[in-house]
Amino acid sequence: MSAGASKQSPAERLFTLTCCLMAAPVIGLSKNDIFRSVVSYAEQGSDLAKEKMFDRDKSDLREMGVQLEVIDSSSFGETDSARYRIAKGSFDWPADFEINNEHMTLLELAAKAWNNQLLSKQAQSGLIRLRSLGIVESSRQLSAFTPRLLAPQESFAPLADAIAEGKLVRFSYRKIDGTTSVREVTPLKLRFIEGQWVLLAKQSKEIKNFLLRRIVSKVKSSELAGETVSLVQIDEVEAALVEFVTKNIAVLKIEQDSEAWWHFGAKDSGTVEVNFMDEALFAEDLMEFGSEVQILSPESLRQRIDSGWQQVLDTHA
Amino acid sequence: MPKQEIDAEDLFNLSLSIVGLVLRDGPMATTELATHFGYTEKTIVRAVKTIANSEDIGRFETHFYVDDELLAKGEVDFSIGMAALRRPPLLSKRQTTALAAGLDFLAALPQFAGNVALSQIRNQIGSGSLPITILASPARQETLHTIQQALVDKTQLVASYVNQLGEKSERDIDPLRVDYVGRRHYLRGWCHSNQAVRSFRLDRITKIENTDKPISQAAESAEIPLEVFGQIENETTVKIRATHEASEIFWNFPATDIQRDTEGNVTGKIQVGSVKALGRHVARYAGQVRVLSPESAVEAVRQFAIHARHGSLTPEDQD
Repeated sequence: MSAGASKQSPAERLFTLTCCLMAAPVIGLSKNDIFRSVVSYAEQGSDLAKEKMFDRDKSDLREMGVQLEVIDSSSFGETDSARYRIAKGSFDWPADFEINNEHMTLLELAAKAWNNQLLSKQAQSGLIRLRSLGIVESSRQLSAFTPRLLAPQESFAPLADAIAEGKLVRFSYRKIDGTTSVREVTPLKLRFIEGQWVLLAKQSKEIKNFLLRRIVSKVKSSELAGETVSLVQIDEVEAALVEFVTKNIAVLKIEQDSEAWWHFGAKDSGTVEVNFMDEALFAEDLMEFGSEVQILSPESLRQRIDSGWQQVLDTHA
Repeated sequence: MPKQEIDAEDLFNLSLSIVGLVLRDGPMATTELATHFGYTEKTIVRAVKTIANSEDIGRFETHFYVDDELLAKGEVDFSIGMAALRRPPLLSKRQTTALAAGLDFLAALPQFAGNVALSQIRNQIGSGSLPITILASPARQETLHTIQQALVDKTQLVASYVNQLGEKSERDIDPLRVDYVGRRHYLRGWCHSNQAVRSFRLDRITKIENTDKPISQAAESAEIPLEVFGQIENETTVKIRATHEASEIFWNFPATDIQRDTEGNVTGKIQVGSVKALGRHVARYAGQVRVLSPESAVEAVRQFAIHARHGSLTPEDQD
């Protein structure tokens, strides 16, 4: 194809730009090298138009995981002497990265769970990328299973963005005792625990868990970069949460043959031990079973539920 | 079902992925690529042309040479020109977040407790932590297992079912699908007594057995409604108000006229199949959800709380 014979589509422009950057020498390419190589830039009428297009493409590439590096001898940001290259390793999949058909089935289910909501598009495009690692048949056993993840909290999207961009965010958080305070945190991870979305985030020196449903304001992203946290630190906090949950045990007495009986898999005596993460959330789950569940311990849970019934009666007098 | 539409970002992503796969596994039919990536053949051809048009006009060189004649015959093959690209980039942070959150969600489901493949892939995709599964009862896992087997065998199930009013019945069900919505499993199946597709909550199935009878023709051709609560009969409109934290109650019902005030409290109307069963849904929020009308619904919630409180105050009396 000769230059200018046909207009490049945006996808072709991004693909060609990526190829040119990949094939560049170690010192990278100058902006002019790029403008001369990629037909869409060459066709732009003005330098300003070229610059604008290139700026947009750089940010698109970064968003899609192509890590662009700018090497600049000037310390005042990007100048005309800047050179561009692709960060080492951004196309290097770990040597031991292998996906078998079971993994693929699970990944497909994970993407399907988004069910056209929020991150569905990103999950699907991630799957496409993983499928380039080879043809694997997905397992038929799970094909009739449709998990549907609900993440309708308004805070989910801005938090997911902040995690992707490594930015600080600010929001109001209402604790279970009713006190509200403004938190400035570095979001690290969104996790689904006991039917609730939980944000793992660093607030000043500590890594904490925040329940999304207790975030009571809009999440404001700041332009400031968040704090860096190592994977080891995150693993430690998660292990601590698991340990906490393991030690948090309620003893319940369940009414025989009731719905709760089946729900908790009660046997014989009808007494079951259940682990829980958050007492208030657990109380909600138990209250749904009404008189079918009685709390033998801990006392704090029994009292919480009892005052919960009083509140229901007060609001429905 | 193959996706028909594709935007620039996805087309770029698909082109990178085709490069990776074809360089790895050799020439492939467009039909094969279409099945593998879940796009139409037309889209695959567009992606291959994107690869073909990757010319460096400054150097008069091309990155990939695509065999046009073969492509016209439905086969994709290309050779490398000056390209250093061999595979797509690693997953972007957003792709990772999306897949990791989805995997996290799966890991929280009782049916994946102890699933080795799931913990392996969670390690690879970056959420690699222990799942915290708490409300998993062994009874439900057995139920799930029986249903999954029946889905694979395409056989009928016999189940003892307790509806939300506590009424027990025996049902012959042709299983179609298992949904997990919010935090509950539902068996979607053709119910022989109703002659319609129904949703059965797994924790209300007290007994279930797989039979060797094949599922009915009616079940084979049945359409499954998208929403699990899509079949309410004799419904009542109930007006409720919920605090910000309890506003998730609106996700569990078909809801209309939703309004949020400056404090974050949400008022709206929900469609309820049984007013009597509403008590439990409202009471769980300990006063954070208030039924405004009709009076019968207010009374149902009140009665539920009175009954439950009486039970919870006197645990020993039950023995």
